[in-house]
Amino acid sequence: MPQDGLPEATHELAVKGDEADGSLATAARRLAQEAKQALSFGARGVSDVTEEFAAAAKQLRPGQLVKDEYFTLFEAVGALEIMDPKMDSGYVPPGDTFDADFDVCRGLEAIEIIWIIDELLCLEIAWHDGYPLSQTVFTSLHIDRLLSPDNRKPYTFLYGEVPGVELSDEQQLVHTVLRAYCLGLIKCIQLPLHIVQSQNFYEEEDFVTHLFGQELLEKLKTDDVAKALDDALRCVRNVHLPADVAEAIEARLWFRRQYLAVLLGESSDWSNLITRHEKANSSHELAKPLPAAFSDKVQRQLATSTPPRPMLEVSWTHAYKKWTKLCADMVEADRLTSVWICQSPHCLQRATWAFAYREPQPGTFARAYLQDRLLGSDMIAEDVSHFDLLLTDIRDLVLAGDPLADPASFQIEVPTDPRHLCSRHIGSFMDKAFEEYLNLYRMVCQNRCRIRRTFTQTIPILDSLETVAKETDEELHRISSQRSLPGPEGTPVRLNPLTSWTRYHKISIMAKSIQLGFETDIYLPDELCAMYWLLGTYSLTQSSGLKHIERFLLDRMKTLTKARNSRYVAETLASQDWIRSLVLLWETTRLLAVALANLCGTLMDLDVISPPARSYAQERLLWDARMKPYMTLVHDPVPSIDEFHRTRQGTGDLSTACEAVDQGIKTAKQHLAEVKKMSPQQAKYLGTEEQWARELKQLETTCVALVVQTSQLMKISEKHGKKEARKGDSMREVVEVSLPEPAKRYHLWWVVPQISERKRS
Amino acid sequence: MSSNSKNAVSTTDKDAVEGDGDLHYVPYGAEKESPYLPAIRQLISRDLSEPYSIYVYRYFLYQWGDLCFMALDDHNNLIGVIVCKLEPHRGGPMRGYIAMLATRSEHRGRGIATQLVKRAVDKMIEKDADEIALETEVDNYPSLRIYENLGFLRTKRLHRYYLNGNTAFRLILYLKPGIPQRPTYPPEYPAMQQDPYLPSQGAAVPGQGLMGEDLVARQAAQMKIEDVYAETFDVKGEAARQDW
Repeated sequence: MPQDGLPEATHELAVKGDEADGSLATAARRLAQEAKQALSFGARGVSDVTEEFAAAAKQLRPGQLVKDEYFTLFEAVGALEIMDPKMDSGYVPPGDTFDADFDVCRGLEAIEIIWIIDELLCLEIAWHDGYPLSQTVFTSLHIDRLLSPDNRKPYTFLYGEVPGVELSDEQQLVHTVLRAYCLGLIKCIQLPLHIVQSQNFYEEEDFVTHLFGQELLEKLKTDDVAKALDDALRCVRNVHLPADVAEAIEARLWFRRQYLAVLLGESSDWSNLITRHEKANSSHELAKPLPAAFSDKVQRQLATSTPPRPMLEVSWTHAYKKWTKLCADMVEADRLTSVWICQSPHCLQRATWAFAYREPQPGTFARAYLQDRLLGSDMIAEDVSHFDLLLTDIRDLVLAGDPLADPASFQIEVPTDPRHLCSRHIGSFMDKAFEEYLNLYRMVCQNRCRIRRTFTQTIPILDSLETVAKETDEELHRISSQRSLPGPEGTPVRLNPLTSWTRYHKISIMAKSIQLGFETDIYLPDELCAMYWLLGTYSLTQSSGLKHIERFLLDRMKTLTKARNSRYVAETLASQDWIRSLVLLWETTRLLAVALANLCGTLMDLDVISPPARSYAQERLLWDARMKPYMTLVHDPVPSIDEFHRTRQGTGDLSTACEAVDQGIKTAKQHLAEVKKMSPQQAKYLGTEEQWARELKQLETTCVALVVQTSQLMKISEKHGKKEARKGDSMREVVEVSLPEPAKRYHLWWVVPQISERKRS
Repeated sequence: MSSNSKNAVSTTDKDAVEGDGDLHYVPYGAEKESPYLPAIRQLISRDLSEPYSIYVYRYFLYQWGDLCFMALDDHNNLIGVIVCKLEPHRGGPMRGYIAMLATRSEHRGRGIATQLVKRAVDKMIEKDADEIALETEVDNYPSLRIYENLGFLRTKRLHRYYLNGNTAFRLILYLKPGIPQRPTYPPEYPAMQQDPYLPSQGAAVPGQGLMGEDLVARQAAQMKIEDVYAETFDVKGEAARQDW
């Protein structure tokens, strides 16, 4: 008995403590005494403390806050006012009953069973959609009975008692069919919950994991549930039901059975699940409503301080669409992580992005499922470990055709062999890069607001990884002298492969963090110029870095052709194609960014876009706030506001600026045309061909739109004789601009101002 | 630093909107249980689906009563109110936080909210705040306009920040240079029950994901009163376990 056991246990502790430390012993003795007193409470009986309490309360002034220094706002927020119907979920209004008035053991018509099952399907998908179980599945009185703490294995509606054999058809439908369905459903809550919660990253804002103190039949094995579902299927065949009704129930049971199987990994056929669900959908009209089988009164007994909330109402049509979408997302998650995509880190990275950008965005469970497939074990595919993935990434980008980072070099065990020594250094660098590298995949499995925020947090980490990369590159050079080529200023430069690799990923993340800023609409119109300018700056850094890699690749190719190493030659050629595609894409990004910075800057110069009054702000502090994610970087220090202003100075008059925009866009379009010709193998978009084509199309449309807008601006300015307008010449009276919200853009990341002539009123 | 605050204060004076002659602005002050508390509570909870308990108001007003300002009419009826706090943010900069702002609907559009914000901002500057933060719904354009006109920038979009499913922007105003370089430390919330207001039931999910901290943040967010929306890169809470 625990009540007797505790004081004894503490007594023991005290004895042990005596030998070691007197004060500990005293504490333990006190604890034991207090425990004894506390536990003997029952024996002493109940005493009324109302008067003492009231007297003590009178010592305080009204509203006086008595708290220690550790009392936080959270605790303040957590406080409830008991008996306030809007706060106290246990409050029972006068005349109401505490429990819902419905007997879950009574037999039901088959068509009522169909309705309950369908209602549960609606509530289950609402849970996936971000609503708490307390407002959804837990409002089912049948589920509530099975989850009741008084219930026990094998979990029946009769609190563990197995109903007798002499059951009517209607009773069988409840005690065998509906029960099995509910058990299956509970397991189908438990398993996704487990997948979601075992990921490193998931979002509580998108998905409520809270169980409100309930346990999801932990002691019941999924095998038993599967068996119960099989029994239920048999039962449906044995009771006397019209054919269509029997079929409808069977379809629902099969759906549950199949869903359980894919969740358990026994099957991966999510598309079959869609078919099953379609069958259920086609028979939904048979259902006869029985709303009494659900009640939000169950919330009164759930462990929570969240205020009472009404049971959610979800239409069947809506739920059906959501289910279909969930299954389709799962099918796609499976496809995007198929073996042949996982062979190439960059195809896989594109695949994760493609998944994140499915419309509408996949829910938490689907994203966790993808994350689980990617990172659930240390293998990304049967024969590809995460370590291989990282090594391939490095090799594809910077060291194709080089014995450095050749997996074979990692096998050499002769301690004096430079390949062995170099592999050890590279291996040690990879260990340090490993977690952050996997985060490149993991982060993209979040909702998009969170992708941006985790990106901003990862930038300084990658920047410090760059320091490690630099040191490692030095070591590699010391062990085996690395080739140098004449640099841009004539001084010889080395490839510094690991630095180049780290920097590529870092700048990618930096650029994407800015682009996601456009997508999440955090920049005001007057900030667009600076942010596109910054994006242009980083894109230039990136394409210069890539061209640096490309030069060494070409040089390596010369040596390899002579040596006739065909494997290395093939690798190098593939890398050349790929780097070429990257240069083209980053140059496109740069040109678009520069063009938009130019156009937005011009519109600001001409007072068409103007900043808010900002009475409390100082320009430099605004810059600080905006640049915060990049502010602490050592290797790519954020440009100062003065640098930004300097580059804005030489932009000339309106027609010069528009000319420059057009020129830039012309080149960007050429790049896009060139990259469009590249095959999925060359540009590494295997498995995401459709998304790739769509993306390029969107970029092309953005280019066209941009040219249309500058010509529109020129036309208006010509009409008003303002072609040579420059900073300070206000065109506010004649030009107006609107900035499309994300949903209305040709591409979420590119805000093309819509320019029109201001109509005089 | 002090010159910053001076500048800001004088700008405020210049920009002050006249024309609300029938209104006067007063700080809540040091009085712990002011006769205005019920009115404040009523005004703020009007916009809320789920009310705050009285303790939430007391939490702010008891500790930062000087950062709470009220707009009163000639008959001392409460027309608008702003409630704030000011304390170090994660061991770093002194962060002012605007927790609640409300004006009576029939008085909106007269710049009362702006006046309240200005008074609170001035007071925070006077008390040596480094920065001021707040959240507001992404589609609350009047509110965004007020803050952005005063100089706040949107720094983050917080998906489904409020429990009603609405998404928020985090807005920030720096008052001193060098804030981004100031180190902050992740909050030290231990692995917590999901429902933070319950005594531990022992059955915490073996978990990861955004557990305690984020939940607390969400609860607080639902109340629109705290700026703790979890930003931890390391959501497993490992950071808190390591020595930072």
